[in-house]
Amino acid sequence: MKFLCTDCDTAMKFKDVTRPEQGSVTALFECPDCFTEIAMYLNPSETQMLKSLDLKLGGTNEAAQPMQLVRSQLETAKGESMPNMFSSETSSGETAEGGKCPFTGVISDAFQEDSTPTEPTGPVWTAEALERLERIPAFVRPMAKMGIESFAKDNGHDEITAEVMDAARGNFPAQF
Amino acid sequence: MKSYKELPNDAGSNIIGQVTAQADRIQKRLASVKYTVAIMSGKGGVGKSSLTANLATALTLNGNAVGVVDADINGPTLAKMMGVRNATLEYTPAGVKPAMTALGTKLISMDLLLAEDDAPVLWNAYSQKDAFTWRTTMEVGALREFIADTEWGNLDYLLLDLPPGTDRLPNVTELIPNLSGVVVVTIPSEVSQLIVKKSVTMARDILGVPIIGVVENMAFYVCQHCGEKEPLFSADETLDKTLQQLMLGSIPFDPQLSRANDNGTLYIDKYPDAPASQVLVQVGKKIQDFFISIV
Repeated sequence: MKFLCTDCDTAMKFKDVTRPEQGSVTALFECPDCFTEIAMYLNPSETQMLKSLDLKLGGTNEAAQPMQLVRSQLETAKGESMPNMFSSETSSGETAEGGKCPFTGVISDAFQEDSTPTEPTGPVWTAEALERLERIPAFVRPMAKMGIESFAKDNGHDEITAEVMDAARGNFPAQF
Repeated sequence: MKSYKELPNDAGSNIIGQVTAQADRIQKRLASVKYTVAIMSGKGGVGKSSLTANLATALTLNGNAVGVVDADINGPTLAKMMGVRNATLEYTPAGVKPAMTALGTKLISMDLLLAEDDAPVLWNAYSQKDAFTWRTTMEVGALREFIADTEWGNLDYLLLDLPPGTDRLPNVTELIPNLSGVVVVTIPSEVSQLIVKKSVTMARDILGVPIIGVVENMAFYVCQHCGEKEPLFSADETLDKTLQQLMLGSIPFDPQLSRANDNGTLYIDKYPDAPASQVLVQVGKKIQDFFISIV
């Protein structure tokens, strides 16, 4: 994943990452020449995939803790299996030593947030729209579904119909 | 405008570096392990875990240092079978100290981390909806940590008990590219053999992993009254020729073995004279011979 400032033809650099909203993480990148910033949004599935791979946006200088993925992500674990893996960091990324580790702490906290899963309410799918959804290749269907629901919410639709899907179509590579 | 390759890095995340570091952790840990052996079938319910527990015990009794990874993340049974379910894992900066059986076999299993008997493996997520898109990735990550972060020490054998499915071995070889070999488990039924042959193809022809051999489990039972061997399955369900050529041993069905698994008793240690124990010991020796022969 690389970002280019097209005005300066310069590689952008990771700057910051915000706390998630409803499972989505936002990462900021900045051009070192003109200081233009762009934001990259990871939807909940993308955030979850990154978490599952145990990868940190912005990198990490910290040594891996033994079984850090299992211990931090297993919801049904024994109590003693779950010591605070990131106790040296505050939620803002300040390390115990006073240094700034701007990304790993926030990302780790971000992944811990929303520990009580909630099913988001959203627009209702009509039977016809669901039938069309089934025609989308399975491996991109979840992303497409989420994107269409997001489009519907953003555009004030309480119901996802074939027409709403048509309107959302331009935003997705998959045909449906 | 610069192309992808002309940009110097990935904006600072160093994803390749992070992935490489994960692989390095496995390699460092396995540097003190002589042989890594996967116990697989493809088919469920053929006794892979029971065989793994007893092979580990047989190899241990034969003087080897043995570790076991219960790679069945969602259906872990080995902690119970090997009698260490009450063990508490100890975390140190160097890794996690595994559970250890009375005979000294080391074990790591998801069962040792779960809170309750009826607690399934449930991963933290904003929503469990569409979890199929990331759950397998999380499970492979867990397996990676089981292998890399357990303090195995010096081992002669590290056995990995794989869950059913021909797709499981490729996941393991992604983590352990130089896997020493696989032991394939079947039962006499044609249904089992149909799947097991796919696993043999996957291991030998697609992944290039040496097949140590095939173990036929529940091959027959011995009448407790007259000592006669009787087939447990239909008499005309004989083992496929391909599988016969790879045969390490045929293990008779023994209700005591099932009870030992339930009780966490190491079967071949408690019943060394049982016909099944004797076959299991022989299979253990053949595995050792396999590696001696290829040195």
